[in-house]
Amino acid sequence: MAASIAAPKRPFLTLPFLLPSWTDSLSLGAKRHQSSYRRTKQRLRVKPDASFGPSQQGRDQIIYNPPSSAPSVYHTPSKFLPINDVRRAMRADTPSGPNVNELPSVHKTEAERKYHLTPADIEEIRKLRLNDPMTWSRHKLAKRFECSPIFIAMVCEASPEKKQIQKQVLEAVQSRWGPKRRMAREDRKLRREAWGRDE
Amino acid sequence: MPVKGIRTVASARNGVGAFILQCKRLDFHYCNFWASSRGMLNFLTKDLPAFAREHPQIEIRVSPRPAKHPVIKGHYINGHEKAICVRNLEPEDIMKKTMILKEASGDKLKRTKKPVTSVNESVRGIWSPYHGDLRGV
Amino acid sequence: MKRLQLQRWSSSVLSPRARAGSRLHQQLYSTGLRLQSTASPLQSETSIPDDVEHVDIGDPGMMRHVRRVHKRKTQLQYPSPPVDAAIKSPKLAALHARLYLPSRLPVQTLARTLVDASADRNADFNNEALATLGHDLLTHYTSEHLLCNYPRLPLSVIFAAMYAYVGPKTLAAMTKEWGVDWATVPGGEVDPGLLQFKRIDPGTKVDEVSQLQSPRPYAAQKGWRMTVSSKIFYDDEFGDAIKGSAASNEGVTTEMASATFVRAVMGAIYLHAGRPAAKRFFEQHILSRHLNISELFNFSQPARDLARLCARENFEPPVAKIVSETGRKSRHPVFVVGVFSGQDKLGEGAGASLAEARERAALAALKGWYLYSPLNPRVPSSMEEEGAAPWKPAHVDVGEVIV
Repeated sequence: MAASIAAPKRPFLTLPFLLPSWTDSLSLGAKRHQSSYRRTKQRLRVKPDASFGPSQQGRDQIIYNPPSSAPSVYHTPSKFLPINDVRRAMRADTPSGPNVNELPSVHKTEAERKYHLTPADIEEIRKLRLNDPMTWSRHKLAKRFECSPIFIAMVCEASPEKKQIQKQVLEAVQSRWGPKRRMAREDRKLRREAWGRDE
Repeated sequence: MPVKGIRTVASARNGVGAFILQCKRLDFHYCNFWASSRGMLNFLTKDLPAFAREHPQIEIRVSPRPAKHPVIKGHYINGHEKAICVRNLEPEDIMKKTMILKEASGDKLKRTKKPVTSVNESVRGIWSPYHGDLRGV
Repeated sequence: MKRLQLQRWSSSVLSPRARAGSRLHQQLYSTGLRLQSTASPLQSETSIPDDVEHVDIGDPGMMRHVRRVHKRKTQLQYPSPPVDAAIKSPKLAALHARLYLPSRLPVQTLARTLVDASADRNADFNNEALATLGHDLLTHYTSEHLLCNYPRLPLSVIFAAMYAYVGPKTLAAMTKEWGVDWATVPGGEVDPGLLQFKRIDPGTKVDEVSQLQSPRPYAAQKGWRMTVSSKIFYDDEFGDAIKGSAASNEGVTTEMASATFVRAVMGAIYLHAGRPAAKRFFEQHILSRHLNISELFNFSQPARDLARLCARENFEPPVAKIVSETGRKSRHPVFVVGVFSGQDKLGEGAGASLAEARERAALAALKGWYLYSPLNPRVPSSMEEEGAAPWKPAHVDVGEVIV
């Protein structure tokens, strides 16, 4: 939110103690003397928000200060209100938030959905995975058919032998873990479960 | 199953619906012979019936305790008990002590620093540095 | 709406023929004749049964002693206190006043609510019939409150909320908060102001004592899947399998006995003081308790559920966007992620990683959906009040998200 940091109220040059030559010797903020007290105090004197002042036209007005807190879950989003709910109309003219398209995405690249696989392809995926599970792992199949590994897991299942082998491999790896790593993994799992309870 | 329920117990808020008086029993002990019980005996004969009628939710027990100073004991719902010795006190003072015991919650006395303590969450929520209008100084 | 006549109701419930063919009904004919109207062995000090009346002792002090011994003996022959002992109990009168019970509810009935079925097997003297009625009332009022206030709650959360309001744990806590103590061993000489029940032997496994009596087919099969919606049909109000009552010689736990007592008080108020008093008692003692329903949810995959929900309701698919962040390259980053559907924000969450923040945001959005509450909700039982406004249908939702 660097964009919302407001510019200083006065031009920079009128505050000479901010200049670098001063800051070298003074280490700004750490020391405060009687002589400099008034200057620092003056900078903190910010004009209050316009909505806090007396009303201009002498008529009623609604002051909207969004709370600086995370929204409550009991406040149903307007989109989730039933069509006949009064609150839908009441909230219609409240200012909307930032433009969604300008906000950065959580993922670096949005995965594009292609829907290009045919039933024959899926049959082949199943056949490959069943016949040669050691070569054709989920990731290799995903790369070859240009889909996600989750999709491979959705359409077919590994053979029981392969599952057994994979379980043994996992056990062998886990047996080499020390107490620290084991505890860290368990904690991570517990933290992940706590997300679902919103703790 | 997409969502599971978490089992808890709804917590009591005494006084929001019904108010349960926390003092459930008052024991009055007196001695028939010691002079320190004179005020207590007067209190028991004159004031106690009216007090008991006004506070039917308190069980009252009167019992002699020979060769001891008179004592009032309050028993509370949280399992604690409080005792006040009322030797040589006048009936009016004993009434004040009785009221102290009646109004107590049974907990240890503690200093309340805030005028209101509440389990309800505040209307504006908990302040967070990442929300609302950020403004620089 | 035509009103039921309470007097007619009360006589049928107070007598053990409340539910014909039930266990109560069978007990009536197995136990001997001991009726509530004639049960008090001593009406007063003067009316002494014949065998003492005929003994003529000149000394009045001796006579008093004989009477006291005789009274104790007659008290001891019954498993629960006699009916007329209730009037003399200061504990009982104090409890009556402490709970602000209506004056139409006599202390004798209050004394009966304190006698558990494990203390006195006779259905005329224990609280089982009252508790059955009280349990139905409590769960009815609670469920209508939940369904009208939060019409979109998923069923598993409704079960959890029911348990939090009127579950046995809560009712046992209420018994403690009302200042009700329990007698160590029940008996006829015990003060009727104490809760009386036979305790379960230490070390007994509670689940094994009560046999499974579920109407569900194949209920005995352990690992079988049970759908949530089948729980409405087969299971009890809290989503647990229905259990039969304990065997005749077994005791009960303190929690079970306390819960039965509170339910019996509710039933007794309904019978003696009527429906409005019962509703008021429910609102003052149960609905006034604090429960944050948003803390009863436990999601496993909120992002997937939200996507399903948006698809079902024909909204644009949810997209997670970073609203603000700090310290991305530091040891303690904070990301605030919002979930948007089109231009509308559905939910928002903060977390130490993008995955966590996204998951929490989806969860907040789902909670926003499920915790929708209509304005000024009314419950159906409010129509029973005098001069109630015409009924407007409550909001009914299509149901929870099924994945």
